[in-house]
Amino acid sequence: MSDRLSVGLNCPSCGGAISVTEGESTTNCRYCGSTLYIEGDNGVGTVVFKNKLDRDAAIKATQVWWRKGFKARDLKNVGTITEVYPIYLPFWSIGTRVAGWVCGYEERSTTDSKGNTRTEKVYKEEMVLQDLHYSDIACDPGDLGIRSVPNFSGEASFEDMDMIPTFESTTSHDDAIANAKADAIERGRESANVPNITFEKFHVLVRKVSMIYYPVWVVRYTYQDRMYMATVDGVTGRMLSGRAPGDPLYQSLAVTAGTSLGGLAAAGGIITLISFDSEVGIAGVILGLIVFGATYWFFRHGSEIVQGEFPDRKELSMRINGQTMMDRIRGLRI
Amino acid sequence: MAEIKCPKCAGPVQFDAGTRFTKCSYCSSQIYIDRSGALFYYAIPFTLSESDAVGTFKRWAGGSTKAKDLDKLAKITKVAKKYFPLYMFRRLIDDREEVLLEPAASTVLPGLHQLKLPGGDLQIFDAQFNTSGAEMVQPDIAMTHYLTTLPGNAKEQSLVYFPIWELEYQFKGNTYHAVVDASSSEVFASTFPIRSSVAYIAVSIAGFFAFIGEGLLATVNLLAGTALMAVTVAAVFVASLYVARRL
Amino acid sequence: MKVVQVKCPNCDLPLNMEMKDELFYCSNCGTMHTREAQRVEQIPYEIADFRKDTLIDNRVYIPFWRLCTDFRIRSRDVVGGFFDKLRQGLNGDNGSGSLYIFVPASHMDTAAFRYWAVHLTLNNPRYTTRADFAGTRRMPASTSRDEAIEMADFVALTLEAEKPGVLQYLDYSLTVQQAKVVYLPFMSSPSGLHLAW
Repeated sequence: MSDRLSVGLNCPSCGGAISVTEGESTTNCRYCGSTLYIEGDNGVGTVVFKNKLDRDAAIKATQVWWRKGFKARDLKNVGTITEVYPIYLPFWSIGTRVAGWVCGYEERSTTDSKGNTRTEKVYKEEMVLQDLHYSDIACDPGDLGIRSVPNFSGEASFEDMDMIPTFESTTSHDDAIANAKADAIERGRESANVPNITFEKFHVLVRKVSMIYYPVWVVRYTYQDRMYMATVDGVTGRMLSGRAPGDPLYQSLAVTAGTSLGGLAAAGGIITLISFDSEVGIAGVILGLIVFGATYWFFRHGSEIVQGEFPDRKELSMRINGQTMMDRIRGLRI
Repeated sequence: MAEIKCPKCAGPVQFDAGTRFTKCSYCSSQIYIDRSGALFYYAIPFTLSESDAVGTFKRWAGGSTKAKDLDKLAKITKVAKKYFPLYMFRRLIDDREEVLLEPAASTVLPGLHQLKLPGGDLQIFDAQFNTSGAEMVQPDIAMTHYLTTLPGNAKEQSLVYFPIWELEYQFKGNTYHAVVDASSSEVFASTFPIRSSVAYIAVSIAGFFAFIGEGLLATVNLLAGTALMAVTVAAVFVASLYVARRL
Repeated sequence: MKVVQVKCPNCDLPLNMEMKDELFYCSNCGTMHTREAQRVEQIPYEIADFRKDTLIDNRVYIPFWRLCTDFRIRSRDVVGGFFDKLRQGLNGDNGSGSLYIFVPASHMDTAAFRYWAVHLTLNNPRYTTRADFAGTRRMPASTSRDEAIEMADFVALTLEAEKPGVLQYLDYSLTVQQAKVVYLPFMSSPSGLHLAW
């Protein structure tokens, strides 16, 4: 193996020392003015956001968060913060431009006064031309519950880099770009809002790739014998993610309310269906089922309240043929 | 921090794990660090103490999918602090940069063969690195074993030690294993005692259909329907509270 | 990683450019080239002449990729636009043939990008060319030829979609036969950019 680990950077024309900014492929020699080109990989531009928070502010934010939502009622008294420290997390930040066309149609059903339902196709051709921003964490987020950059504006400064532990980027540059392109197409297609697509074509240009180091405060606390973790945005002071104990009382109240309201909505729907034979009835039954399903989910899994982008987070998603329940209800157009 | 010699003045230049460009502090010339031919040793520091790891395990064990009161009833029989080695290859394959992870030691521990490198502050692993008493799992798979078979050209290769707490616990006569990643607090377990949803579903479904029935009844006999609803509300509340607390 | 001095691939003289530009221009022999890793490629280009009455101070050249393409439609499905279909049927126009597509090579916001791409592709500019920039300011190029080819596909599709009727399906091929950079003369004014020839 080579023992030459370092390459000195000098102007090939005049020999003067040059400085290269990461991510730039050209530079000018400041001595002789020659235009220089950097062949091979020289990384991406780096932005470091300055940490604006201190320990006390991070603790305060967590304690305020404890009181919100359906967390254990005694958390604010029993919870004990054991550790608070800042880290820098690496994020890929990629600017893209997506251009394309989406063609297709939307089906609209209308019911006239006699109860006849007619479905008509509304044809659509939608242009997509947008500049987008994509971000993704550049290391494994583990149990931090953070995946994308919390915000893109902040004071840039390298001065805290040495003081705050910095998580290293361990993912591939090209994978990040491929993901950014896929994300741009996905978002472009979504913005076109064509339910049934018969033709589409997208192009994505990558405008700018950079690495953002974002300050995040990690707060660990105990509740009974358990140890929980939460994170606070080091720029805005907002809570980013965290896990907290739930409360059986809230779980039980939720399912009681959900079964009663959901059951009555369904009952109302059935009655309407029998006596008027109207689609309103079906909507009532579906609404009842949704209320019931949502509260059941909270009853079953509400013993831990989770905020943030966790891989094991249990999402309530009821999708039928790719449409959510809410879409279905809207589609009925009562 | 690692050290290299400045290619210009031969002065010692220190650099950190993520550095690509650095400046010589003696002659201030800019230096590019070429990692393609070298093997780096990195380690991620522990951010969880033993009690933190046990607490994190208990939080995980208290989750809604785990057996009720697993956090209280699990008897922890073994806690071990370890550094587990992983090879990280950054290679250029068909003009695309790819990061490949390969195990450097054979293991049966849960989570470690999923082959991911937990996020952390990579530090150069050398004689000065403080392993804080953790057992270093020795690499028993040579890097050359992978290097000869990997596609593309090397950009960087490293051996990364990542910190784990290995836990063994007993529950209802069975022994289970869990691994707590000591950098980002993630808990790995391949098998664990699970909680049945039967009681939750039973209470919810019974309540839901009771209300549908009572709702229909109320259109015929308002008084009877409302009275029954009041009883059902109380019953569902008490039953669900019992289920949420005890089952 | 290697730092190399940028030299003109034609006359071998070192370049001395003041701004960052994807297109390297040799002021000595007038050769333009691009670089990607170790690949150096000469790029054909044209510089259009300014209208004589344009104020010197307001003059700016904006680079466009002019792509000479062969746009062939194999089949299409359009809903509505009956009269247009009838007209096409009578004229035997199936929308195929050669097409000069203009794609801005400088960075522009989405609205300006679309306006100039569509406008110049529909109304191909006619201009007299000159040999050099004559000291006129020019905007740096940031779009590579491959990116321009991607965008040309979008421009061709836009022309097709903007015809009467609602496009539902299009099976087509777009082949680029020649790519050239054209520096078009613009006049910057408080109300924006205007063509000035």
